[in-house]
Amino acid sequence: MSESNALHPERVAMTLVLNGHSVSVEVDPRETLFDTLRERLRATGTKGACLGGECGSCTILLDGEPVTACLVMALQADGRAVDTVEGLAEGEQLSALQAAFVQAGAVQCGYCTPGLLVAATALLRKNPKPTEQDVRRGLAGNLCRCTGYGKIIEAVLNASQQGDAQGTQKSALRGKR
Amino acid sequence: MIYHRPQSIDEALALKSSLGQRARFIAGGTDLVVGIRKGRTTVDSFVDLSRVPGLAGLTRAGDTLRIGAACTHAQLEREGITALAQACETVGGPQIRNMGTLGGQVGTASPAGDVSVALIALDAVVELASVRGTRSMPLADFFVGPGRTSLEPDEMVLSVTVPTNRKSVFYKIGKRDAVAISVVVAAASVSPSGDVAVGLGCVAPVPFRPRKSEQMLRGHPLTSERIDAAAAMAASEVSPISDHRGGATYRRAMVETLTRRLLRTLADTPYEGLLSVAMSHS
Repeated sequence: MSESNALHPERVAMTLVLNGHSVSVEVDPRETLFDTLRERLRATGTKGACLGGECGSCTILLDGEPVTACLVMALQADGRAVDTVEGLAEGEQLSALQAAFVQAGAVQCGYCTPGLLVAATALLRKNPKPTEQDVRRGLAGNLCRCTGYGKIIEAVLNASQQGDAQGTQKSALRGKR
Repeated sequence: MIYHRPQSIDEALALKSSLGQRARFIAGGTDLVVGIRKGRTTVDSFVDLSRVPGLAGLTRAGDTLRIGAACTHAQLEREGITALAQACETVGGPQIRNMGTLGGQVGTASPAGDVSVALIALDAVVELASVRGTRSMPLADFFVGPGRTSLEPDEMVLSVTVPTNRKSVFYKIGKRDAVAISVVVAAASVSPSGDVAVGLGCVAPVPFRPRKSEQMLRGHPLTSERIDAAAAMAASEVSPISDHRGGATYRRAMVETLTRRLLRTLADTPYEGLLSVAMSHS
């Protein structure tokens, strides 16, 4: 058997395009992308609650598609584009979606917010004019225990009504590079 | 632990053959990674299939669709096979559907596997591969118990093939619409020649086909009386358990209700509408 593609612990070098920037990092092949992002790259905007794919708190975009980082092995992201909540704003300039969350009061304790922002960014990119039902379905993988979802859905719909919510689109496009 | 990233199906099979049982294929990871984190699964090495070329293909040939094992649930939501699309869009949430693959769905062999239930109701055939070659079997025969399949230690699920000329429909009862294990799930399909297949989930140790019920329908028009009798027969064939999601009595009653409802939908839907059977998920 060829060992040419076998990777042994403890550390394996990998590269990912994090929020548009190429990043090299050494990972343990046993760790998940969630751990790599938070513990090695200090991209702590991505939150974890259930760590079993049920709550959506750790939602990121992998090659532009929303996934839960807690269920992705780090090495599965080697060479791929990863977008997190940190990539949504341009410096101090919030994306239209983020601004809509603030305006609607869609944040209470805030723990689910990064995952919801990333999931909603992906939703709006695929479906720029969603119905309320589309938003509910698109965010069905994200749990919030504070808000009751009403203001979150309102915020996403508000962002979608601001024409080409440029912030949202710009950030979302990064995932396609 | 070692992490392997094979570049071809052959290389993946050679790795599995030499590494044995505790080497695990990983693609979507939505069951495997949870199992590892909860301590249910021990893995010595991963064989990562997520970027093996040719494993995520969809191939239409005649009246069939061949679905590669690495196809995601999100891909299958859009393929126009009613029961399959309806089942796929109820699995997990968007994130899970973007990751979880068909091969993982059937390989996990959950009795509550929504998509597995739809697939057996479509009379799907599963194709398995190893260094020794490939073999195929009806998917319903592939499941042997909760979490147990006919896979040999060196084999992988290569594809599942479904007919595209059957009318089909799917229904799930769950505690909520997303990210919830089903309480009862059912699917049914009818071939152009009138053969009916039914799939039931969460009511037996495996995704289950009520063969006696299907037999009652063979060669007969789907009249109201016959549908009622077949639905009652299906309820007598299942062996549900009671757990925190639902009681056995309730589950058995729902098998009768759902079987009747799905068969009536099939009876009432003209073939021309076969790709667009509308059923609400409420």
